[in-house]
Amino acid sequence: MIELKNVTKRYDSLTVVDDVSFTVKAGECFALLGPNGAGKTTIVKMLLNFTRPTSGSLSINGISSSQAECRQAVGYLAENHHIPPSLSGWHYLLRCAELLDMNQSEAIDHCRHIVELIGMQGREHTKAGTYSKGMVQRFGLGAALMGEPKLLILDEPTSGLDPIGIREIRQLLESLKDQGMTIFLNSHLLSEVEKICDTAAIINRGKLLVKENISAIVRDGETLEDLFVRLVRG
Amino acid sequence: METSKALPPMTRIAKYTLIDEVQQRSFVVMFVICAICVFLVRGCYHGNYMVNGQALDTGTIVRTLSKAIFHVISSGVMVIAALLSMRIFRRDRDEGTQSCVLSKPIERWQYVMGKLLGLWVLSALFMFILHSIVFLITSINLKVFIPGYLAASLLCTINLLFVVIAVLLLSLLMPDIVAFLCVLGIGIVGFVADGIAAASHSQIVQAIVQQPAGQPQSDLTWWKVVYVLWPKLLGVQQLAASLIESDASHGFGPIYPLINILAYCLILGLLLFKRFRAEDIV
Repeated sequence: MIELKNVTKRYDSLTVVDDVSFTVKAGECFALLGPNGAGKTTIVKMLLNFTRPTSGSLSINGISSSQAECRQAVGYLAENHHIPPSLSGWHYLLRCAELLDMNQSEAIDHCRHIVELIGMQGREHTKAGTYSKGMVQRFGLGAALMGEPKLLILDEPTSGLDPIGIREIRQLLESLKDQGMTIFLNSHLLSEVEKICDTAAIINRGKLLVKENISAIVRDGETLEDLFVRLVRG
Repeated sequence: METSKALPPMTRIAKYTLIDEVQQRSFVVMFVICAICVFLVRGCYHGNYMVNGQALDTGTIVRTLSKAIFHVISSGVMVIAALLSMRIFRRDRDEGTQSCVLSKPIERWQYVMGKLLGLWVLSALFMFILHSIVFLITSINLKVFIPGYLAASLLCTINLLFVVIAVLLLSLLMPDIVAFLCVLGIGIVGFVADGIAAASHSQIVQAIVQQPAGQPQSDLTWWKVVYVLWPKLLGVQQLAASLIESDASHGFGPIYPLINILAYCLILGLLLFKRFRAEDIV
């Protein structure tokens, strides 16, 4: 589903991602972990062609990430997601649906379903300017789920959510995983990652330290957090 | 999904750009003020105008004034188009619209084209409505029908296209306000240069600046090349205004300014798409 081959990204003399290679199979729930500034978001941005790699190649479903068609069945939630304050959550979702070539009636039906899925019934018609960060994040997740994508790329999806919201998002992701959706998760919440994801990659200072099944790399009596600290601190 | 029935993404982006701009309070205020100003101008048509002691007939007054108002509106809307365009990319970045749109299977050129189209249509509508107010005043109130007035307005939209493309391109390379001022500067320099060129053709000015025999003429070739190649915004306006004249003998005038501006639109448009392709999406 996702393939990175010797990907390097440099900004002048600063190497943000250093010769990273890994694959994520279809149906896999994958977590990309690393401390702040490790290069996680840069990898996500390269996958979506928001920025280009200095060298190496990235592909989704065998199509180069530089081609727009590779994003045909991809949903994306950005870290610190925003919604134009003049739009309501409903109109925002409607626009996202229309951008995916849905006609008006299809878009409305789909948006109703999404609003229900993200638990925002009753708040969808108020302006986004009045939403809390958690609500914006939920609508962002709703926008990512628009068009029933096969791959979901989530950059800190639980950012700004309260514990109940985090739990709801986790349950939602678990149900999506059960439906066979591929999930690429970028998160700091290691306890949540441990509950949802099958595989994880840890990067530090742009270098890939490990990419394995979580159950295979976490030792007995150790948590993912312990493993993370152990690997990152060297 | 019925893709064939759906509008292509570019048109949708253009539609959203247009709707978002119209919903801005500053846009509404700007439009209402402009419409009121144009509406108030109708008072000028009722004055008595004399040339060499002879009163001018209503038709001449209406045509001359309408032409002057046409130029004021066309120039004013160019400034407004630049104001509307200068923050469009930054606002989309800040509001997350850019990453939302480009995470979908939409090419960057489609996004830029959608933005460009939306801004162009919006500013063209803005100008067309203001010109239509003048057209209605002259046709209904004063019973002087100027068939070419609205056609002239449409022709002037080429200038708006130039302004929108230039500001969008420059806003990717420099701060928004500097991009706006640069395009404003290009417009002002072009207008002043065209004014000087027009004045220099008058016999009085030629007589004043005529150099005594024996003195070598200064070499102005370089300046002439710059002048000829400079964006001919006023030229397009004058070409459009020639449609307002009722006398057919005036003709359509030279079309060089139109070619000049269209060539600029093409070149700057290509640069805009090339620059945006290399842009990092935040």
